[in-house]
Amino acid sequence: MSGFATRAVHGPLPGPAERWQHGDLRPPVHDTVAFEFATAEEIADAFAGRRPAHSYSRISNPTVAAFERRIQELAGGRGVVAQASGMAAIATTILALAGAGSNIVAGRSLFGNTVSLLARTLEPWGLETRFVEMKDQAAVAAAIDQNTRAIFLESITNPRLEVCDLPALAELGRGRGVPLLVDNTAPTFYLCRAGELGAAVEIISSTKYISGGGAAVGGLIIDHGSFDWQRSPRMGEFARRFGPFALLAALRRETARDLGACLAPHNAYLQTLGLETLALRVDRSCANALELARFLTTQPAVRKVNYPGLEDHPDHELARRQFNGRFGGILTCELADRQACFAMLDKLQLIRRATNINDNKTLAIHPASTIFAEFDAAEREAMGVSEGLLRISAGIEDLADLQDDLRQALAALTKEAKE
Amino acid sequence: MRIKVNGEDKEFSQEVNVSRVLTEQNVESPEMVAVQVNGAFVDKEQFEAHTLRDGDSVEFLYFMGGGA
Repeated sequence: MSGFATRAVHGPLPGPAERWQHGDLRPPVHDTVAFEFATAEEIADAFAGRRPAHSYSRISNPTVAAFERRIQELAGGRGVVAQASGMAAIATTILALAGAGSNIVAGRSLFGNTVSLLARTLEPWGLETRFVEMKDQAAVAAAIDQNTRAIFLESITNPRLEVCDLPALAELGRGRGVPLLVDNTAPTFYLCRAGELGAAVEIISSTKYISGGGAAVGGLIIDHGSFDWQRSPRMGEFARRFGPFALLAALRRETARDLGACLAPHNAYLQTLGLETLALRVDRSCANALELARFLTTQPAVRKVNYPGLEDHPDHELARRQFNGRFGGILTCELADRQACFAMLDKLQLIRRATNINDNKTLAIHPASTIFAEFDAAEREAMGVSEGLLRISAGIEDLADLQDDLRQALAALTKEAKE
Repeated sequence: MRIKVNGEDKEFSQEVNVSRVLTEQNVESPEMVAVQVNGAFVDKEQFEAHTLRDGDSVEFLYFMGGGA
């Protein structure tokens, strides 16, 4: 059993002892907070780590563990920790690896809330983030010093849609004893084998493609097992006791446990369901995104289309290499200004005005007035978010219907401009 | 063959690998356990290939732990 879609549907096949009581084809949802033990010694053994047992659902839960195993089966790696959201996964990973007096080297082009986490939420606690152009490897190298605890980037940046050379940056980090953390939300491990390309840790907002129907918020931390955690100063005692499992142990026994952003069992169930159709949906969404990008280039009201799948995109070849010949489901386009974007969004009849990405439904948003509204004009410009930028996340609907909707919305805009 | 498992002496009638010891000790969820043989960590991929010898010491520690 080796194909991705097959493994997504079936996961690791259970042994006879692991089959569910009634032979359920879909595991039950263990919606419980705590688990009881037969004796006091057993519970003491579980707390000490001598006995494998779920004790409390903030730390582990059978439904969440089944989801984590399914993810590991597909993404590879040494282990997976599921979290309540993508942002929780990023924050928890960074807080496990870095603290006051240390720094993170991060891409200048990142999701707005991630920028806010690094530059605003964590900065007052003494954790510095050095934002650099990830495409400028000399700048990345220059930003790293003995206090750097991680390089952080997005495999396809949101919304600038840049693609960085993952193996080169991983190599650069390894040479300096710094792990590469990759937010791989946009292509997921189906298109982008982040671990094989050198990511020490892959982080995913499973709210997006993995959930699919936009039904549940969730996040994933995947340790790819390629980084020697002995080299990471914050791992200290965990590296000594747990060796290659240091980060997973630090998350389970300290950072994720203490921050408490655990994935709810019901959300794990919904996301396991979503995961089963990941390949089908990503293929369809990417195909729609490519055709919509091509279509938008023919529209007079559109000044520019940005999509890695277009041959004139500066990272087209790199994206093709790193993302298995596909280019993700998100595209952006430039209209005249904010007013034109608002007018066009208001004319949409099928495509939804909403802030999620990689949903089954095609979604559109004006990033400057929403996700990036908390930043000033100069900051937005530096992050590639202009006043005329529109972001479209391609869903899995029939292409012709999406084209019709965009055509009528843009036609209304052109007509208004003439009047 | 005598192998020390988490500090306790265990008898095995034939050659065993790490996987077998984990199974015989009812160790579930091997993806959540760190295993050391004679103080050295053994990666999960090596559980089958790593054959144990008389007198070896195997330590396994779950990192799921407890709370609340």
